[in-house]
Amino acid sequence: MTLDHIILGIAIFSITYLLIVTEKFNRVAVAMTGAALMMFLSVEAQEKAIEHIDFNTIGILIGMMIVVNITRKSGIFEYLAIKSVKAVDGKPWGILVLFLIITAVASALLDNVTTILLIAPITLVITDTLKLNPIPFLVPEILMANIGGTATLIGDPPNIMIGSATGITFMDFVINLGPVVIVIFIVTLFLFKLIYKGCYTCEEAARLEILSLDENLAIKDSKLLKKSVVVLGFTMLGFMVHGKLGLESATIAISGAAILLFISKLDPEEIFVEIEWNTIFFFVSLFVLVGGLEEVGALDYLADQLVHVTHGNIIVLTFIVLFVSAIASAFLDNIPFVATMIPLLSKLGAISGGDMTSVWWALSLGACLGGNGTLIGASANVIVSGMLDKKGYKLSFGQYMKVGFPLMLISVTISAVYLGVFYI
Amino acid sequence: MKKIIGANELHQTMKLRQMGADIEVVHSRMCYVKFKINDIDLAYVYNINKKNEYFLERIKPYPLPLKAYKSEEDVVDVIAIDVEQFRNVCSSKNVNDFIEFLKQMKLTVNKFEDLILYYNVSKADINEFQDILSDLNKKIDQSKSESERLYFKKNPDFL
Repeated sequence: MTLDHIILGIAIFSITYLLIVTEKFNRVAVAMTGAALMMFLSVEAQEKAIEHIDFNTIGILIGMMIVVNITRKSGIFEYLAIKSVKAVDGKPWGILVLFLIITAVASALLDNVTTILLIAPITLVITDTLKLNPIPFLVPEILMANIGGTATLIGDPPNIMIGSATGITFMDFVINLGPVVIVIFIVTLFLFKLIYKGCYTCEEAARLEILSLDENLAIKDSKLLKKSVVVLGFTMLGFMVHGKLGLESATIAISGAAILLFISKLDPEEIFVEIEWNTIFFFVSLFVLVGGLEEVGALDYLADQLVHVTHGNIIVLTFIVLFVSAIASAFLDNIPFVATMIPLLSKLGAISGGDMTSVWWALSLGACLGGNGTLIGASANVIVSGMLDKKGYKLSFGQYMKVGFPLMLISVTISAVYLGVFYI
Repeated sequence: MKKIIGANELHQTMKLRQMGADIEVVHSRMCYVKFKINDIDLAYVYNINKKNEYFLERIKPYPLPLKAYKSEEDVVDVIAIDVEQFRNVCSSKNVNDFIEFLKQMKLTVNKFEDLILYYNVSKADINEFQDILSDLNKKIDQSKSESERLYFKKNPDFL
């Protein structure tokens, strides 16, 4: 490796990262160009680039996208939503609480963007019928999607990457992050009641109208619904025991996807069209890009410097990682951030020789919860803002930040206390 | 983009299902086809899907559903004939009057639909509209018999 290659590798990575962050160009096209340049300019040989791609992460993403896309065709989410509305007698606050529970649980089991894309359109139908402003419903849903997704390995892309790189299992995530996520959920729910005081009352006629919704009409295919629920259940069970079975989590996701594809008898082509290939290619390109940085030794250098700054103190490192990743994720895309941090922290762990467990939890909590800080912090936020705009409701950057940023700081502070008490 | 479309689809289909609709969602591609003949815009829209049903509609110079076809060759053939016929028509000095008249006809149909959907129209009025329509059809037949035929590759569909 020559000095030219080192400079070239760092330059390609930095420029690509900068272009992704500024969002002036399509992030996938930018990441792919950067990855191609790493190989084309011989910073990273093609064989090495392929080695750097984490196929476990890619497998989980593709597998779960297939499972979710088939499951959603059954109408289960609309069915659950209408059932929830009836369970609370059409009262807006009750509807919100149940919708937030569904959002958080679904986000932990699916990914948070998918969850928001399923729950937000249903919420808009409900708020339309109740003749209520959808913002006090959708903003809490955004936050709870990001909070719920923090609890499991498959809930949010940063967790998938962390789990895949470190060998942390699905159940490790649930046991270690589940409790703090529940606390954050309850605190945030309570705060929403105060923030949006007076927004959860509707006219009696509207309440009666919402109760006339028929959950049975929501079921599009009852056979598919049963098959999807069974396969989804077994897939979750598989995630819970994948460590004990000695199987990678991607094997579970791909197996669930293959079985559901087989028994649903749906045309695979129709389902594959729904896979978010943009996301898949973004991940692949990022792995190659970060791999290039690793090849030129830049990550070793950065890890050395970080050890020097923190004196190898894991406690200091844990809190730095938690707050830096939270603030960074509030303004930047957390996927490239985590993709870079993982090899950096792995090297740092190898140099310092300390137990990195708390640091990995800090990275997960910071990167996942940080997305709640601003309107551009997570894809779910941007999508909901766009949907509201189309419905004639304006959710501005500042308007969101006034609610999201303080709540994000509260959730990260709770996480810091949790890590401090239980892991340090 | 795909995600947003999916969310919008869910929002709309949930409302429609609650109205009792049976919905089948089919992936398709929408094709916009444009021609310019003697300063007159001619445009069509059709969709391609795996079910081999092509819904063709002319959108300019005036909207007209042209029906569903089973193959894209049929769609291209229909457009080719339509364009050829418009080329003939466009060479006439009365072309703008024809187009204006057909736009007025379309507007009349829409107004009539509004009339029966929004108002309780009397039987006498409906009979009068039928008489006017009958006179118009007679006039079309008369005009056909007195005019020189210009296009022979295909016979008229309704005349």
